[in-house]
Amino acid sequence: MDNTGFGLLSLVIFMPLMGGLFLMLVPKDFVKVHRYLALAVTILTFVASLQIYRAFSGNTYHFQLVESIPWITSLGITYKVGVDGISLWLVLLTTFIAVISVWFSFYVGERAKEFMVFCLILETALIGVFCALDLILFFIFFEATLFPMYLMIAIWGGKNRAYASVKFFLFTFLGSIFMLVAIVALYFITQEKLGEGTFDLIAMQELAAAGDLAAGTVQLWLFAAFAVAFAVKVPFFPLHTWLPDAHTEAPTAGSIFLAAIMLKMGIYGFLRFCLPLFPEASIQAAPLMMGLAVVGIIYGAVMAAMQPDWKRLIAYSSVSHLGFVMLGVFALNHNGLMGSVLQSVNHGISTGALFLMVGMIYERRHSRLFKDFGGLKRQMPMFSGLFLLIMLSSVALPSMNGFIGEFLCLIGGFEAGFNGTAGIPIWMPVVAGSGIVFAAVYLLWMFQKAFYGPVDKAEIRRLRDIKVWEQGLCWGLVLFVFWIGLYPTFYTSKMEASVNALRHQTIQPPDARPAWADMSVDVNGRGDVVEVTGRDPVDLGVWTQVRVLVPSEHHKQREDTEAVVARRSGEQP
Amino acid sequence: MAIPVDSQHWANLIWAVLLLPLAGFLFQAAFGKKITDLLGESAGRAVLGFMAVLPIAAGFLLSVIIARNLGGLEPEARLFITTWFNWIDLQSLQVPFELRVDTLSMTMCLIVTGVGALIHLYATGYMAEDRDYPRFFTYMNLFILFMLLLVLGNNLPLMFIGWEGVGLCSYLLIGFWYQKIENAKAANKAFIVNRIGDWGFMIGMFLLFAVFAASQGVIGEGELRYLSFDVMFAHAQEVIPQFGPVVITAIPLLLFVGAMGKSAQFPLYLWLPDAMAGPTPVSALIHAATMVTAGVYMVTRCHIFFELAPVAMLVVACVGAFTAIFAASVAFGQTDIKRVLAYSTVSQLGYMFLACGVGAFSTGMFHVTTHAFFKALLFLGSGSVIMAMSHDQDMRKYGKLSKYLPVTYFTMLVGWLAIAGIPPLAGFFSKDEILSKVFSSGSHWAGQWGGFNPAVLYVVGLVTAVMTAAYMTRMFYLTFHGPEERWRNLPVPAHHHAHAVAVTGEAHGPDEHGFFLADEEVARRAAEEEETHHELGPGHQPREPGFTIRFPLLALAACSLLGGMILAGLNPLAEMFGAETPHFFEVWNEPSAGAALLPAETMFRTEHSTEWILVGVSVLAAVIGIAYMRFRYAKGLPEDERRLRGWRRAAGMQWYFDAAMYRLFVEWGGRFSNGVKRWFDEGVIDGLLVHGSAWTVGAFGKVFRKTETGYVRTYAMTMLLGSVLILGYFIWVVSR
Repeated sequence: MDNTGFGLLSLVIFMPLMGGLFLMLVPKDFVKVHRYLALAVTILTFVASLQIYRAFSGNTYHFQLVESIPWITSLGITYKVGVDGISLWLVLLTTFIAVISVWFSFYVGERAKEFMVFCLILETALIGVFCALDLILFFIFFEATLFPMYLMIAIWGGKNRAYASVKFFLFTFLGSIFMLVAIVALYFITQEKLGEGTFDLIAMQELAAAGDLAAGTVQLWLFAAFAVAFAVKVPFFPLHTWLPDAHTEAPTAGSIFLAAIMLKMGIYGFLRFCLPLFPEASIQAAPLMMGLAVVGIIYGAVMAAMQPDWKRLIAYSSVSHLGFVMLGVFALNHNGLMGSVLQSVNHGISTGALFLMVGMIYERRHSRLFKDFGGLKRQMPMFSGLFLLIMLSSVALPSMNGFIGEFLCLIGGFEAGFNGTAGIPIWMPVVAGSGIVFAAVYLLWMFQKAFYGPVDKAEIRRLRDIKVWEQGLCWGLVLFVFWIGLYPTFYTSKMEASVNALRHQTIQPPDARPAWADMSVDVNGRGDVVEVTGRDPVDLGVWTQVRVLVPSEHHKQREDTEAVVARRSGEQP
Repeated sequence: MAIPVDSQHWANLIWAVLLLPLAGFLFQAAFGKKITDLLGESAGRAVLGFMAVLPIAAGFLLSVIIARNLGGLEPEARLFITTWFNWIDLQSLQVPFELRVDTLSMTMCLIVTGVGALIHLYATGYMAEDRDYPRFFTYMNLFILFMLLLVLGNNLPLMFIGWEGVGLCSYLLIGFWYQKIENAKAANKAFIVNRIGDWGFMIGMFLLFAVFAASQGVIGEGELRYLSFDVMFAHAQEVIPQFGPVVITAIPLLLFVGAMGKSAQFPLYLWLPDAMAGPTPVSALIHAATMVTAGVYMVTRCHIFFELAPVAMLVVACVGAFTAIFAASVAFGQTDIKRVLAYSTVSQLGYMFLACGVGAFSTGMFHVTTHAFFKALLFLGSGSVIMAMSHDQDMRKYGKLSKYLPVTYFTMLVGWLAIAGIPPLAGFFSKDEILSKVFSSGSHWAGQWGGFNPAVLYVVGLVTAVMTAAYMTRMFYLTFHGPEERWRNLPVPAHHHAHAVAVTGEAHGPDEHGFFLADEEVARRAAEEEETHHELGPGHQPREPGFTIRFPLLALAACSLLGGMILAGLNPLAEMFGAETPHFFEVWNEPSAGAALLPAETMFRTEHSTEWILVGVSVLAAVIGIAYMRFRYAKGLPEDERRLRGWRRAAGMQWYFDAAMYRLFVEWGGRFSNGVKRWFDEGVIDGLLVHGSAWTVGAFGKVFRKTETGYVRTYAMTMLLGSVLILGYFIWVVSR
């Protein structure tokens, strides 16, 4: 196993942790130092993560910026990190959201030092989750996110924080126990097949691509074990009840981290582990998962409409929105998967912004109940205008980010239903589409209750509009709302190769699945899986194509199909 | 086929038409407040008003230039597609940001910018006193932008941006005076009901995508613009029938659900009457002239999908006809002048769909155009009346206003006669043409529609024409005529303050972050809110508003008076005398709105004598309606209408349909959802499953905790007991 040494990714992963450790050394009375230092660290991390974007090429589905360092060699555990088109945007989302959260946490007065330290530790864990390519490393980061979040809720949370934090912890922890069992099982399977056990995702997927990793019932059980862990995180109906409590009781920064990024760990888990490692099981489970997603969309929306509490409403709206994402994932086609990756980012921005803005008003009014609000539009016009924009992006108004994501997820789901992919019935995406009506219902009610009507409460009448720096945070998020909404190509172009490979890894028969380990294949600009002759060792995106192995179904070409048939039957064309 | 456009081509001017309102919107949004602060209220508003009208008026002039250039070409060449960039660009789907310049889109473009500019001008007068003047024009310019995108977009997703965007602006403008919570609720209703339609639109779009994406071989390799109109229309006839009758019918029906929402067709019309809560210029522009006709435009744009499915055509025609007569009946029970016009809009939209349903798409568009003239006129006229009457909209308090508001009176006279269908005004030409085409196409559709007799549609249309003339006469006479000025009989209003707000210096914590206003600032703002409210009373003197109000009225009156004659090229009259004068509007729209598959040449053909009779019948219908109602209302407000009773009351309440829907979806739906929340989410899932399992674990823990006594002797005893039991078991097993 070669040792590449540490590089850019490790820098981005551990910079916040280092900053956090340094912060611990600063005496707790220097509150301002803590605040500005933490902010500086997150901004630096964000800037560093932009370098990942610069170094990243959208021309290949292979992992880039891979760092591999032997760690516990006797158990086959490596420190292995890398990014592909799916994780790239989630890493960038994390570093960006961290800046917003930490900046807004300037309002935390009590134990500011510890709060900032936890924010930074959490950031490291979250980036690590999206970069880890070794299952044990992934599991460590995955669990490491729990502790800072648990403490954030338990220490800085609202009235019911003890209950919410324990519930949050137990739900996630119970889910991940199953995953740990499955990871260990996978180790023994690799030991059996390769002679030497490994936790390396890339090696495992190579086995899966050949159809050797696990088959039949074993694969189904392994899929289920992973799926439970991720379904709790997403959260899937009926495993969602921790979410409203945790979101509601968490401090603002915690809610933002939870909604914007921690829920995406579930989606990411499905995309990174469940689909490529257990393709047959994924296809088998697709109707069930999509059914649950549809239930989640409607159920979350109906529940959201009935909440008297501002944060609970947004929490339930996440259940609904992530239903769309899961719909896209299990549509198992290009549109759906692209939509799910993009919508993960979109949801992070829109819902993160909603929690941020509710946090702003909570700091002032110390209430989250709608009955304490009304007439805010007259009193705080700038805040209302910004909130309206963010709300509309959550309603998925076309030209804003939410639309692109939900549109692609739904169109992918519909395509799957129409073509009968994986036995998905057509009514599921049709019913899911009605989620756009429900979204309008609960979000507009929310807006009406809080912002419209006369200013008839003395507490509201005293409120000043939000400050310039707070407006700045909101505008920063609004920028992405329109950027993704009007020019999504900027984002999708870097995802396509990886998403395409992921789809082929899932739906193709064993010998036609592209493997991450196999550098002699790649996905070209039309979506065909192709054989590669030469590849630049530094920039993996530079390569030369020989012939098409699996043609894209959107560019069918007769010769290529024949080539594949020949390849499958073992002949050389 | 589409002609590729290079960067020098005049068709690119369309981008300027689109981007001008965007510039206007950004200007108003960014500088609106600053300019009024800088220049003072009155000068600032003058500048802002000018800057609001300018982009729309300039857009109109550019549209005229484009339309003239387009008209100079051969009919087949009247189509340009100009692309900016790829909006959605995936390996599985491409949606470019592309505009379509053809006769249909330019027709709508001219209406939107032309009528839009007039209404913007009107609004500078109507809203002059409003506190949120810049905000109003911000929304209005944004609306024009989205409306233009809706009509110009060359693919369904781009159209959908405009489609939902105009819905957003409608929402914002209905709720413009948001401090009254009823307005906010009306706005929500509009958006949500529209979203139900949008759901249909979206699913229809998905179905089209799925169908075309599965037909790669037909539409050509590498063509990923599955949802672009030029790709879809060119191959629709080839591709869609392959998928069987369900898909053929489902595509147009789903799209029509979208049209029903936006164009207020039964049962999704529910939002439009409530939408009258918005300022009157909004009602004129959005809820009469432009946005609500978007559904008709969409059906016309996608007419090839409808033509493929006769069943869908039947549904469109029936929904249109039913909506027309239903809304007309409701109008008789209205006392609010704007609500009469709202229901008449719903009814007229029904006519347009009736025309589309029998295959006369171009005629439907013709009615869209004339309706934009006379309905905008009627709304603006009603706005002028409302301004003159202290914003009281109850017609029962009007009467004899012709004496005070001469310009409004004469312009509304034109609008009234136009909508009633009196020749030679605009409404006559389009409505008569719809009725005659419904009648003449009967023989074609009788074969296609199974047992359904198309003559029913004609009768419904004709009855609606009588009713339209009747309720409009009622409105006109109650407002402008009658022996007495009825507001003189009202009690003297007591002056009261609109928003009495307690300003208390209640105790609040230390304000370390500077979140709160100083007490003086709170008091100053409270004083600002306390505006005195003028109410209509016996001493009120109505005064006609100024130039900015009168000019749009006169301009639209001229359009309503002459527009029909000009656009129709006086054809129906000329043709009856045997002349083959081409129908200007129909010829113009033929390349884009003419039937693609239906035998339009033959299916609408009638004998000249029949044509004469049809014209006679529809004029007679209008005259009957007017004459009867003139007789009834010339004497003023009838005794039995001082308070609405009996059928009129039931009609006014939309025959209880609105209440039933409210009961079903809002009350019972809310109760059901709340029940699910309390019993299922909090009870079953969280209570039974989550807490239940937690409790079970806890209970086990409690039981086993008892054993952890900490006494060594207890453990020793237990061990002994256990060893004995295990040993005993083995002995028992072995000895068996």
